[in-house]
Amino acid sequence: MTKGARLRLVLRDVASGCAFASMAVSGQLPLWTLGLYGVALVAALAGKRLFARRAKLTALLLLGVAAVLAVNVTSGALNLVVAACAFAGLISAHRLLSAPDAATDGQVHLSGLLMVAGGAALSGELVYGLFLVAFGVLASVAMALGVVEAAVPEGEPVPVRAVLRPLATGVTFAVAGAMAFFILFPRLNWNMTGPRAAPGLGPATTGFSNTVRLGGAGTIKDNPRIVLRATLSPDPGVDALNSYWVGRTYDIFDGLEWTNAGGVRREREPLLTLRPGGDNLIHQRVELLPAYGGRTLIALETPSRLGNAVANGSTGSRRTFLQELAGGEARFLEAGLSYAYEAYSLPPGGSGDTFRRLPSVEQDALLALPEALDPRVSQTAARVLNGEREPLAAAQKLAAWLQREHAYTLELSGEREDPLADFLFERKAGHCEHFATALTLMLRTQGIRARLATGFFGGERVNEGYILRAGDAHAWTHVLVPERGFVTVDATPPAHRTSQGSRLLQRLLGLYEALESRWRNSVVDYSFRDQVDVARALVRPPKGSENTERSRLPPPRAWGAALLAGMVVYAAWRLVTRLAGRPRPHEATRFVDLVEAILLPARLFRAEGETLEDLDARLAREGHPLAPALAPVTRRYLEARFGGRPLRQGEAEQLIRALQRAVTAHVRLEAQRARAAASEPRARAS
Amino acid sequence: MKPRLKQRWARLRAWLRPPRTLKVTRIGRTYLVVTFGVGLGALNTGNNLLYLLLGLLLSMVVVSGVLSERCIRDISVRRVGTDAAFAGEPFAFRWAVSRKQGHAFALTFSEADSPLTGGGGVGYLPANVEHVVRANLIAPRRGPLRLTGVSVTTTWPLGLFAKTRVLPLEGLLLIYPKRTYACQEPGDAERGPVGDSGNPRRNDGSGDVTGLRELAEGEDARRIHWLKSASTGKLLRVEREREERRTWVLTVEAGLADEALERRCEEVAALAHRLLDEGHEVGLNTSDRRLRSGAGSAQEKRILRALAWLGFEGAREEEEEAA
Repeated sequence: MTKGARLRLVLRDVASGCAFASMAVSGQLPLWTLGLYGVALVAALAGKRLFARRAKLTALLLLGVAAVLAVNVTSGALNLVVAACAFAGLISAHRLLSAPDAATDGQVHLSGLLMVAGGAALSGELVYGLFLVAFGVLASVAMALGVVEAAVPEGEPVPVRAVLRPLATGVTFAVAGAMAFFILFPRLNWNMTGPRAAPGLGPATTGFSNTVRLGGAGTIKDNPRIVLRATLSPDPGVDALNSYWVGRTYDIFDGLEWTNAGGVRREREPLLTLRPGGDNLIHQRVELLPAYGGRTLIALETPSRLGNAVANGSTGSRRTFLQELAGGEARFLEAGLSYAYEAYSLPPGGSGDTFRRLPSVEQDALLALPEALDPRVSQTAARVLNGEREPLAAAQKLAAWLQREHAYTLELSGEREDPLADFLFERKAGHCEHFATALTLMLRTQGIRARLATGFFGGERVNEGYILRAGDAHAWTHVLVPERGFVTVDATPPAHRTSQGSRLLQRLLGLYEALESRWRNSVVDYSFRDQVDVARALVRPPKGSENTERSRLPPPRAWGAALLAGMVVYAAWRLVTRLAGRPRPHEATRFVDLVEAILLPARLFRAEGETLEDLDARLAREGHPLAPALAPVTRRYLEARFGGRPLRQGEAEQLIRALQRAVTAHVRLEAQRARAAASEPRARAS
Repeated sequence: MKPRLKQRWARLRAWLRPPRTLKVTRIGRTYLVVTFGVGLGALNTGNNLLYLLLGLLLSMVVVSGVLSERCIRDISVRRVGTDAAFAGEPFAFRWAVSRKQGHAFALTFSEADSPLTGGGGVGYLPANVEHVVRANLIAPRRGPLRLTGVSVTTTWPLGLFAKTRVLPLEGLLLIYPKRTYACQEPGDAERGPVGDSGNPRRNDGSGDVTGLRELAEGEDARRIHWLKSASTGKLLRVEREREERRTWVLTVEAGLADEALERRCEEVAALAHRLLDEGHEVGLNTSDRRLRSGAGSAQEKRILRALAWLGFEGAREEEEEAA
């Protein structure tokens, strides 16, 4: 196998791998198909074509795979689209392992095409776009090398470098053309299926359970995966929001874990009003990503209204109802891979709840203590507070003491019988749940009503919105303050409230999220409305530009128009110079062409390679009647062409006219002879 | 149809032919079907990623058209031709191709609008380099074949479409009769046998003794001169003058047409080849001309040419007039 052929096969196989990866990033393909394809790709890249000798027999394997997929589909374990995509991948794997010939190459590329189409149906990730472009480039190069290789005689090298240059230009234009098509082709539908979601790679990491159990390592704090995106109105415009995003609260602690009093409060509501709001509510458009993994709605503290919820699945999106549970938790009724909803929250400062309006079970629970609570907890709280009875001041005093006397750690090994006492008096180190639990219970021992709240802390600016990571999961304390309601007090040291993962990893993921956000806005959610905006931007200044200070420089679209005009002028100039630079035929050559045209009616043709001089000599030899007329013309041509005696003004016309007359006379004479010959009586045999 | 009408018809077809013809290859057909499916999917679902993919697929079609056009533009072809073309068997045919600027890839050459089958190709043609493309062509029938142009086809860059351009190039290819076995004997010779001192096998005959020489390996043992061999102690063979050269004048009878004429031409060509190969002189007598007898490969070529023109006398006159 030649070097060029090897390169072509590697490119072909990698292109197929990219196409498969474009489906795999959706995380919906069965694991066994990933494994099978991976083995096939590695074997193919290593040059092991395992099915080369038994292509037809091994095709039976595909039948078996199809049967397995069909069973999965009929049993409801697998989506039909996913099964079709997986099957396309396995066909490609089979072809990769077959003997490489022109037909196999074509099948690999076409199955790759089907796979990227399947990837478009399964996933909307930015990575998909990268794999799509990679597939397009690699497959094009492989196909081009295949075309050239087929035409190159055996034994000769394939001119790889020569192929790559024009092809690179072509592929660049193709990508630009694809973008132009994408932007300009009118969207004839309104995308009724709505946005789709894919589970992505890796399991969901957060979510909410009905209990919070103390103990164990806080591994989630290291996780930098993004679980929530939100845009706020009014936009605070800060890079680090550092706000509390509450999911639910807990009010009963049994010494080991937190639970709630009460059950479902409202079964099925399109819009949940948790507490009355005011004019200065903060509006949030929230998207919970597949990495979130829960059904509990998250909103900025303190949420007032939640609604307009949509659950996104792999086949599209649908509206979903909400359910209100104890602990102020709101849940989606229907499961989805990701969710989108709107929320309105009160500005920071208190929830506005009053004790009397709380349900009676919650009222009792706000002061409840575990039966086996270590008496040192109460004694310590009393000692620290030193007679302070005002709830908020007492909470802040205890929080300051906890932050001062206790360390933050995520490395908590082993199960403890009394995790609170262990945190407060033995280990003196813990994570956010330990700090929040300690503060809540210490407050309760002093007769101050408090509860545990869980959710997220933070908010990192990405483009126009904010994101939360799995590591931002957090727990804190709500202290009931008269006339203000529940007020947040956080005992966890401030430096350890947000994600504790690697900074570099977080930065990289933040960068990816920024790109993903642009990809989503510009590509995945591109709509007819955006097209109208593009068209409008071309003809009038963008909205809001009237308010900005006027620049002395022309607007960008003027630069664009000027650039376009410049390119058109350059192209026209190139065309004109090319036309002007064409080698013009010599005047004598044009003269010969004219002579040749004049001789045509007399059926005098120049043979291939015969010069005018040769023709003249031939006619003279044959005694042709036109030879005397042609002789002076030929002589003058030769003098003008090679003898340095150019034709004088009007001389060419004179010569041509003379020749023309001679030819006309000759043709007429010939015609007369022909007529005379035709009218002569023929001899008839008698 | 008369040759002149045929010629006009060929010219009319050449004039009516579009500047480029496009044929979708097998993989190209599947590509178009997939593109159509993706387009339907995009329109039906509104999935923007499918729109993006559709844009890429359509752009590749456009880019493919542009690159293939750049590939077959600015190409010039010159026929180098062939040494001898016999009907019904492959013969080597050559074109000299070059281009003024830019590179060309995956070019296939064939004769346009002609019954010649087969073609030759070149994988890579750089600018300002003349490349000779060789092809094994097959002509179905004997006779003069008027060539109107050379078609250049490329599947560059992706092999989805085969774009063809016809470069007008007038020419004539004379197809000799099919090479077959001569079933009939040539009949009586006009002259002979006579001696032939110029024949390389003149000492391998049955005439007068011309000398003795050592027996070479593989030679007939019956030629050994046993007496002289015994006296000299080595095997000597007798060399005798060959006196078998004769002269035949082969005839293609007048009035033959179609298959009968073809068969007779093939027969005469085979006989001529055999007789000339044996060292005889052969002449040819046809209804309208007589070829003087002669020997050697030049004579065989003259006979083949004369046989190739048989039945196409009108075209020959035109050709001779033009020449």
